[in-house]
Amino acid sequence: MLPTLFCFLVLSLLTSSCYALSDYSEQLVLQPLVPASVLASFNFRSNASQSSYNQQHFQYFPRSLGQILQHAHAKELHLRFSSGRWDAESWGNRPWNGTKEGGTGVEIWTWIDASSEEEALMQWNTLNNALAGLFCASMNFIDSTRTSRPLSTFEPLGNHNSGSNLHLFHGALTREVVCTENLTPFLKLLPCKGKVGIASLLDGHKLFDATWQTMSIDVQPVCPADQSGCVMEIEQTIDMVLDIDRSKRPRGDPIPRPLPDDRLICDQNRQYPDENSCYPLDLSAAQDLTLKDLFGRSIQGSCLSPADSTYPVCVAASNSLEVYTTNALAEYKATSGYLRCLALPEKDEFELLIPKQDHARFLPVSTPPIYVERSITGRGQERGGIRVLLRNPSPTHNVSFVYFEALPWFMKPYMHTLKTSIPNTIDEMYYRPGLDRKRGSQLELAITVPANQILELSYDFEKAILRYTEYPPDANRGRDVAPAVIRIVNATTNTSEHVGVAAYLRTTPLMLPLPTPDFSMPYNVIILTSTVIALAFGTIYNMLIRQFVGADEATSEGLKGKIIVALVSVRNKIRDSLSPVATTGPEREKKNI
Amino acid sequence: MRCSILFTLLLTLLPTSLANTKAPHTSNWAVLVSTSRFWFNYRHLANVLSLYRTVKRLGIPDSQILLLLPDDMACNPRNAFPGTVYNNADRALDLYGDNIEVDYRGYDVTVENFIRLLTDRWPDDVPRSKRLGSDEGSNVLVYMTGHGGNEFLKFQDSEEIGSWDLAHAFAQMWAKKRYRELLFMIDTCQANTMFERFYSPNIIATGSSGIDESSYSHHADTDVGVAVIDRWTYYVLEFLETQIKDQQSKLTLGDLFNSYDEEKVRSRPGLRWDLFDGGEAAGRSRLVMDFFGNVQGVEVNDANTFNETEWIQGMEWLAQMFKDKELDQRIGTQDSSQVTLTKQETLAMAHPTNSQTHKIAKIMKGQQWEQKAVGAIALFGVAALWVGSSIFTRT
Repeated sequence: MLPTLFCFLVLSLLTSSCYALSDYSEQLVLQPLVPASVLASFNFRSNASQSSYNQQHFQYFPRSLGQILQHAHAKELHLRFSSGRWDAESWGNRPWNGTKEGGTGVEIWTWIDASSEEEALMQWNTLNNALAGLFCASMNFIDSTRTSRPLSTFEPLGNHNSGSNLHLFHGALTREVVCTENLTPFLKLLPCKGKVGIASLLDGHKLFDATWQTMSIDVQPVCPADQSGCVMEIEQTIDMVLDIDRSKRPRGDPIPRPLPDDRLICDQNRQYPDENSCYPLDLSAAQDLTLKDLFGRSIQGSCLSPADSTYPVCVAASNSLEVYTTNALAEYKATSGYLRCLALPEKDEFELLIPKQDHARFLPVSTPPIYVERSITGRGQERGGIRVLLRNPSPTHNVSFVYFEALPWFMKPYMHTLKTSIPNTIDEMYYRPGLDRKRGSQLELAITVPANQILELSYDFEKAILRYTEYPPDANRGRDVAPAVIRIVNATTNTSEHVGVAAYLRTTPLMLPLPTPDFSMPYNVIILTSTVIALAFGTIYNMLIRQFVGADEATSEGLKGKIIVALVSVRNKIRDSLSPVATTGPEREKKNI
Repeated sequence: MRCSILFTLLLTLLPTSLANTKAPHTSNWAVLVSTSRFWFNYRHLANVLSLYRTVKRLGIPDSQILLLLPDDMACNPRNAFPGTVYNNADRALDLYGDNIEVDYRGYDVTVENFIRLLTDRWPDDVPRSKRLGSDEGSNVLVYMTGHGGNEFLKFQDSEEIGSWDLAHAFAQMWAKKRYRELLFMIDTCQANTMFERFYSPNIIATGSSGIDESSYSHHADTDVGVAVIDRWTYYVLEFLETQIKDQQSKLTLGDLFNSYDEEKVRSRPGLRWDLFDGGEAAGRSRLVMDFFGNVQGVEVNDANTFNETEWIQGMEWLAQMFKDKELDQRIGTQDSSQVTLTKQETLAMAHPTNSQTHKIAKIMKGQQWEQKAVGAIALFGVAALWVGSSIFTRT
């Protein structure tokens, strides 16, 4: 029951508030996690009716994004900015079942309405360029080598017209850094621009210090069951896992330093050999926390007008968990006993305190449908291998999923070496081989892992030799390989809650060391060759254009010439007078003509 | 299409009557470039971000600042201060702050992109925020910092821009009426050699060090672990931050350049006035705010110089052109086919694969065995043929 509890609760709360009340809603869920961390999930939803969207009459829906999507004929957009690693062993299932998550870096997938494939590609290109400008990310680098077209990994979530001709494109930039310049435009899309409401907590200094964080934007048309009154919905989420100790460090001096002796608190339960020794108490574990500690500031009023106001701040933990607040207007407790939500004051600051308490009052750690590890094996500069470990933790049920991988073109997999440790686990396989410098390989596998088993999937690949100009400036760092995406098709757990809920997982990215040349070598060669040529050519040329004459034969033009001739004659006279024996032959001097 | 024609026509018709140098400038743009990657070049990004904060403080909006950062320092795992870049060991000012827009970052900062940016030679898809939208009324500030040498500046430690490249780019900008006056600042070793080749008018150039001279860093922050700012930029900023209190400041470029102290900078900062209209005297009297601040001027055409008949003729020509265009489209002449051709060309450049190659094959179960059987049969067939032929030839 617990794996989806969090998600289910939040979803039900959101859907009830969103459609019934207003075109905008926001939600923050705080969930204490066991090794002194907190998961903070922000969710912002805005709607615009389809007709007003088409007429570019925007109220809550961000105009800047709406116009880009209309220009590129993108009917559905999913954009992710992520960094860090979700620790599934300690934290359990992912927030939103992984549907709001992206692979490390930037990930984008979209459905574009176009009459032909060529046109769709062009729109995809336009869309990436426009989004690159809007979100300050290098999405213009998503070219054909980074574009993939998965068949069964993604499905459109929105309600699209049956007549539209949709094309799916997926792109990933693993190397892309996610930083404050991406958060700034993200916040500008919100109706309150991050100035008030729960978005006022979002600060780049804390968000990008998180152990794991992901920002997502989903735009899709949503229609009610009777197909009337369709709306264009934008949902923005930010999920982050904050380390409490780390967040509490002062911003000007975040480097942990040893405490001075007089502030040390020693563990009295231990034996000490003498009075000078001390085992300091670990004060860091499970300290109390406030919003100000976590995010560096408190919530500044409410973004919603009081009439629309719902319960924007929630704590996902047992209702026996002590939570103290300032200025909370009302409280709502979910019947499940694991969620409580608070209404915000309209203008005043809102602060929340969760004192240090027993972990038993936290939300129990759920079990994800599958654990994945992906790594590169082998050694040497020429070949390598990929090994994926897929562990089904369920003792009773099989898990079926789609495993999707897009490899860069310079990584050439040998599909005949594809092996699974358990036979007959691959149900279906879709493969598109890569072409050098044009597109990468794309692999989609439908896999079923039996209950309580570990499946090892492995294959070998060859590394391509790049051209000199194809290396990035930091070539010796290696190249990044995008994370694999895993879509859980049916994870039948003890309860049937999972069925029908989409669930995704992403592996960590891989670092592929490529053979790199000595980049200074061409310069060495050029310099050496130039030197040799210059020496040889210079000597020959010099000898060819010069004429060698005797000093006395030289014409004495100008004052300089006369002086030289005079000097030479004086010197000859002196030499003659010093050595009575005549020199052999006349003296010869070199002079340029 | 029509819009763009109309725009270009209006642009060419309207402001030509104004004398270029006499009118005050109508907008301000800043191009701030760091060219160094890697953590130990922290100071170069701090230099640029300091300038970014200063021009933003003095009024140039983010949309008119082009910030090029080749590496990420704020969210770098080596940075003990996440989301923060400091330019001073006192750590009083966070340069990254909460509101920052970086237009080019990472691998996007290349010599090619920088020159394209200056000269505005881009494909259609490049968004407005990544373009330098200056015009003949714009004062442009170009600030560069990185590692350089005699007449070159390295980009990301893998390529370099030469002084002639830069000079030609500025000349092209002038030819395309992309600036009115340009202030070029550069902080690198042998910086003054970078502007010696400039030849287009109305440029004031200043650099941190002469030929065969190094530019030095100012000081290091032990917690950041690297040097945080360069000396010349530090003293330029000291002037800008302490002397230019607000946007009404009347201090001139002369005041700024007089504040250079060779003892403190430990190199000989250079200046170049000869390209500027009016020379050194006119250059020195320009306000610092003419380049570091912002104006939002409106050009009003003088009623006396306005040529009504010319304008009417222009409009008539435009109407005629649209008529012809419509006619062309109706009978389907070459013009429209050319347009589609160029679109396909751009597509082919970005995505060299065609639709056929995008299809993905499903690998069937047992297919491998079939393939192996086919291969084995073929092999046997060829072997049998060979054996047979050798038997026949023997007899």
